[in-house]
Parts: sequence; C-alpha cells; structure tokens
Amino acid sequence: MHVYNSVSASSDADYVAALCDRVEKGLDEGLLPVEVFNDERVFRTEMDRIFTRTWVFLGHESEIPNSGDFMLRKMGLDQVIVTRNGKNEINVLLNHCRHRGTEVCHQDRGNATHFKCPYHGWIYKNDGDFVGAPDMREAYGGRLDAKEWGLLKAPKVESLWGFIFASLNEDVPTLRDYLGGAAWMLDCIFGLHPEGMVALAPPERFIVRADWKSGAENFCGDAYHVGTTHYSATLSGLIPGDVRETGPNAQGYMFDGGHSFIGHQLYDWFGPPFGLWGYPPEVQSGFDLSRFDAQQLEMIKKVPPTIGTIFPNFSYLRFPQPARPGEFPMAFTNIRMWQPYAPGQMELWVWEFDYKFSPQRHKDDSYLAGQFGFGAGGIFEQDDTAVWEGIAKAAASPWNRRNGTKLHYQQIRPDPDPDWQGPGQHFNSIYGEYCQESFWRRWLIDMRAGA
Amino acid sequence: MDQTQAFFIAHDFLAREAKLLDERRFDEWFALIDDDIIYHVPIREARLDYAEEHPEGAYRVRDNKALIETRIKRLNSGHAWAETPPSRTLRVVGSLIVEILADDRLAVESAMILYRQRGHDQLGDVIPVRRHDELRLTLDGPRLLKRTALITEVVLSTPNLGVFL
Repeated sequence: MHVYNSVSASSDADYVAALCDRVEKGLDEGLLPVEVFNDERVFRTEMDRIFTRTWVFLGHESEIPNSGDFMLRKMGLDQVIVTRNGKNEINVLLNHCRHRGTEVCHQDRGNATHFKCPYHGWIYKNDGDFVGAPDMREAYGGRLDAKEWGLLKAPKVESLWGFIFASLNEDVPTLRDYLGGAAWMLDCIFGLHPEGMVALAPPERFIVRADWKSGAENFCGDAYHVGTTHYSATLSGLIPGDVRETGPNAQGYMFDGGHSFIGHQLYDWFGPPFGLWGYPPEVQSGFDLSRFDAQQLEMIKKVPPTIGTIFPNFSYLRFPQPARPGEFPMAFTNIRMWQPYAPGQMELWVWEFDYKFSPQRHKDDSYLAGQFGFGAGGIFEQDDTAVWEGIAKAAASPWNRRNGTKLHYQQIRPDPDPDWQGPGQHFNSIYGEYCQESFWRRWLIDMRAGA
Repeated sequence: MDQTQAFFIAHDFLAREAKLLDERRFDEWFALIDDDIIYHVPIREARLDYAEEHPEGAYRVRDNKALIETRIKRLNSGHAWAETPPSRTLRVVGSLIVEILADDRLAVESAMILYRQRGHDQLGDVIPVRRHDELRLTLDGPRLLKRTALITEVVLSTPNLGVFL
C-alpha cells in the first residue's frame, strides 16, 4: 500500500525540528500530533538519533549459553551477530564483511568459532577480529590488521539479569545508570531467584502494520484499553474475572528516562493467592527476597508491576492467565521487542521466560499461557496489533495532515503517592496517561539531540 | 481399507474441512475435531540444516480442544477485533501423502496455501503451510486427531494467526 508523506518545502532536519516543536507544544496541552506514528522522516530520524545511539535490547544470555553460540538480531535496521566467544564475552558484530560488505553469518542461531564471507573468503573470529583471507601474501603482501579490519563491533555491550543490551554510542551511560530507577523495578521482576530467568524458546517473530511506538507507549501505561480491546477474553470464558475491571485496578510506576510500568492490585482484586503475581507456592518458596527493600516487598506482594516499557522498545508483561480453561491463572513472563521495520510498521519479537529453577511443568505451562495470550496467535496480542493498525493509517492520512490532527492525552491526572518510598513516582491510579507522556518526552529529547 | 480408499477419505476430509473454515462454519468444523486433538504451530528459524529449523518445544500456537473452543467462542463474541470484519479466506489443499497407521488411523501430509484478505480493502496475505495431520476414523466419519502446521515463513508476514491453519 502507498505510504503517504506530505510534501514539504523544508529540509528533513528542519521538518523534524518543527515537528518536535509541535510535539512539545502538544504535550504541554495533553495532545500528540498524530503523524509521529507513520512518517518517513520521523522513522529515518529515529534510526539516526535513537537506535544507533541509545541502549538497544538484543536478547538473553540463556539463548547463547555455550562458548561459540551465536544468534542474529537487529539494532535498528542493521542485522547484528550476537556471539559468546571463548572468553565467555558477549560480542555484537555488524553482519557485513569489511572487504565488500557481504553478509558473513547465514543462520538465525548456531555455534561457530569463525565466520567466513562467501564472496572472497575473508574470515573473522567470533569476537569480530579479522584472521585471514585467501592468497593473503599475493593479494595484500601480508596479514591485515585484526582490529582495523575486523567486523564492526558495538562499543558498548552490557547485560543485566542476563538481558543483553548494546549501544553504538561510546559515550552512553552504563546500562544500570540508563535504567535508573527502573533497575530497582526490574530487579524485583527478574531477580527473585539468584539463578535468574531463562528464555523458554527462541523468539517468535511477525510483521505488524503498526508503528513500534504504538506498542511501546501502550505497554508504558495503557490499562485503559483492556476492557474494550480485550473484552473477548472475558466473553470466551478463558479469564475468570472481567477484563473491564483491569483499568480501575491498575496503578502506575513512572521512572526517569521514559521507563514506566503498570501495576495491578492483584492481592486485593483476586485475593491473597495472587500475591507475588500468583506464583504457586512451590515456586514462591524458592524465591530469595532478602535483598529487597520494604517498598519492593510491599509492592510485589500487593501491586506487582504487570506491564512495562524500557525506552525505547523493550517491554515486559507478567499477568495471571490460565494455561488452559478452568485452571488456576498462572504468572507467565512475556518479553517483547517492538522492532522498527518501516514507517508505521514493526517486526514484533516475542519471548516467554521463566525462572531457571522453576519445575519443568511450570515452565511448560507458563510458555503455553504466554503464547496463548501474547504471540501471533495470542488472543490479546491479535487485538492489540489490529487496533494499532488504525493509528498508523491515521498518521498517514492526508486529511489529518491538512487538519493538523492531534490525539487526546488529557485524562485527569492523579497526584503522585506521597508515601512512596521507592525511586521514581507511584500513582494510585493509572488514569492520567502520565506514563505515556513521559515516554514521549523522552522520545523528544533523543529526537532533538544531535540535530 | 486399501491405499486408494485411504487417500479418498483423507482428501475428502481435508477438502470439506477447508470449505467449512472458509465459510466460517466454526461450530461444524469443531464437531470434526477429536477430543484428543493437538493443534500445533511451531516456530521456524533460518538454519542451514532442515532438521534444525523447528527448534524443539518452540511454538506459536499449541492448542488442545478446550483452547480451540476458546478461540471459537472468541471469534463468535463480536469483540474479536483482529477478525472484525472477518478475513475472507481461501484454503487450497493438495500434495497429499497418506499413510495407513492402523485400521482407524491415517497420517496425512498436505500442502496448503491460505489466501486471506483482512479488513475491508487491504491487499491479501498468503500463509503457506505444510500440514502433518493424523485422522481418527470413527463410525461418524473421520476426526482430526493431530495437526502440526509448519508455516513456511520464519518471520510471519500476516500480522496474526487469527485464522485456523
């Protein structure tokens, strides 16, 4: 389908600068110019100023557990090889030969000590170093420098709780500093057991005709949509409760940097068995909560974070859902990456996780529950991505462009919880769209930086 | 039952089943499903070796009969937005390979091209699938006992699996 981008007399940079001004002015009034969800110049700017600069999520260490394991991933539009080398280090390499640019890795996953270019035979170690090429003496008069002619290598690669992030920016803060208060939150999501979490299978991938930011901002703080978008989950009989109660039972946790979470009052809403997300006793008894502060303990018992986004495109979901109709709802851990694909389109990557020490039965059921809810066949996912398609169309609408249409982000704002002892801010109601505003203000900072 | 009869039974079943799904007669289709059904849609990866393309235990969908029923109730709920309006579909099924496993059980492999036009006026999607089925032969006719639907794509280009494969 044709993607409409209005004619502009100005340069790309001027256009984006003016749009950012419009976004800022809009946000001050609780409004968001609709074109941000599908605009070629916005998309290109996001590649230049977000995905080649900030920390980008790539996968989990448990996906490449052994020396030599590798997997292909994306950083923005680039395909990268994520490897574990012989020294147990994680490397993130651009999948293009330095000689002529041909791709050197041809499998989504595998194990290799070296990658050989199929064009002229240049060979690289799995840490990126150039090691040789055919006829080296005749062609080059000797060996080329291993580093100078090695595969391009992301200068910053860090993992927390096994989740691998990389940045092409030498000057990026440490991953922990980047996460800021959100690290405190993620610690009690992924750090309930010293052995941590593991990916239960390779990720599921599918193309969605909606912008990556629609997913990211939804998972920031949109509990309001659940009662309408996902009402079929109640009518189909899968969910014991009524999804229309999801909004009123939701709270918000907002951190600096555009990271935020929805929490649900599971303990008061569903009852005491749903403390700690409803993990069954045999799993809960294995948790080590001794590191957590009083606020963390209170939070995960009563109003645990159920959904969240780490800027820009990493999101989390853990909400009780039966693996099979009639069974006790179980805590699954669904991780997703809203991978930019084209203006107004994304490639969605979805993983299911569980604690490494969990019984196999719990792993199997949490995989089943997660995939039945949130994957290409997921009964929640399908409807989310279907309603987001309309946003991408609205963003490319000539009528909306002519009208200067701005979307409504004007719900009544609650005051922050004055008794909150954790980092960031806590709000007793999710209404107010404050988390989404925080996401967009962070987006604005990055989109303007380096202009 | 000889090979010719088995082939006819399998071909007739798959053709009628495809028509029921295309016409969205989900309740009639559901009646053709065995109580022990496993409906399985694996995840595929791009690998050099075909044997490694479907990692063990990795799936997009794995339904028992109760979960299939949940999907049908959802489609009938009037709130299944991913299928509102419902996709117009055409399932072309062919390349059957039929093996008699027992007097009452057939293994049936088939290739299917599922054409799907979503929404109102969008360009259609194609979902290419190789199916590995098992049919149980009962006095009331064949029942679908097992289906493994191997989607050709690694990255699914249709935005969801809101249709049965």
